[in-house]
Amino acid sequence: MTMSTVSGFDEVELGDELPTDTPDVSMKQVTSFCHSAKHLFERFTDHDAARKEGFPGAIVPGIMSQGLLAAMIHKWAPGCTIKSIDTVFRGSLIVDSTITMTGAVTDTDDDNKTVELDLTIVAEDGRTGVIGTALVEFLN
Amino acid sequence: MGVDVVVIDLIIAEIHKPCVQVLPSHRTAVSLPHLHPDWTYEMSQASSHQDLAPIRKDWVGVEFDWATFEMKADDMVAWAEACGETDQRFINAEHPDFQAHPGFTTHCMSGRVFPDNFPQIGGGFGIDGGKKVEVHAPIRAGDTLTATTTIADIFDKTGRSGTMIFIVQRMEFRNEDSELVSTVDWKMIKRAE
Repeated sequence: MTMSTVSGFDEVELGDELPTDTPDVSMKQVTSFCHSAKHLFERFTDHDAARKEGFPGAIVPGIMSQGLLAAMIHKWAPGCTIKSIDTVFRGSLIVDSTITMTGAVTDTDDDNKTVELDLTIVAEDGRTGVIGTALVEFLN
Repeated sequence: MGVDVVVIDLIIAEIHKPCVQVLPSHRTAVSLPHLHPDWTYEMSQASSHQDLAPIRKDWVGVEFDWATFEMKADDMVAWAEACGETDQRFINAEHPDFQAHPGFTTHCMSGRVFPDNFPQIGGGFGIDGGKKVEVHAPIRAGDTLTATTTIADIFDKTGRSGTMIFIVQRMEFRNEDSELVSTVDWKMIKRAE
């Protein structure tokens, strides 16, 4: 079942899906991220330069993709605390493309009011770009 | 995890040509030319089916780098906004619980990849296989974090494309009160050939 938002642990059930999200990975947005991360490399911010390195176009930094997933979790469960997030960078995500993020609840812990999530980002051409997991804690 | 898939994709995705370095034959440790997580690293001598047990015994847990990082509100907000964050705790510096986004410390890279005299393991390119972040406590604007870097693990896995060696570099970040606030594990993958 897809829940648009949850306000507490009791609203979460095993198997719940987070709302699918298509985050902004425009050149403007990625460049802004790169400035904040002091991560200024042309492969992230210049399509032509990235192509010269053999990429189809500028690519989204791996650490930004992790941040996009964290933001998706916060949208789903406002006020929650992400205790850990673990991502594997499987393939390139292209700047100015449409990417799709999904998540699902794979475990719940009543005692600690925590849930585990499986996370995925799929590229516009259907390839899986990022997979990951997160442990999320609820205050109530 | 499909290690073979990871390797094939990441060889394409994560090579950063300006950062390619070749270890000198006398095996001294080298520094990254820039604090950059999307890097690649080429060994000058490939080793074949190396027994990792003695290497693990000697190197896992070795602390080899130390650095400090200032947490600036503007950067914290810009990072969170660029990630599409909507929670005011991360994008409003005036919020009473304003704090860094969970992965903010992933951009605070150690200046060195390996300790001095670290042995050559595997061959070919080293690939950024991903990052795990543990959030222990909120990071606040104005904090100065002290990071220590260790070799956290060395292990291998075998998939369809052969055996791969994983070297895990761990950075632990502590605030001025010596409180552990963040741990980042950075997995480097190399071919065991």
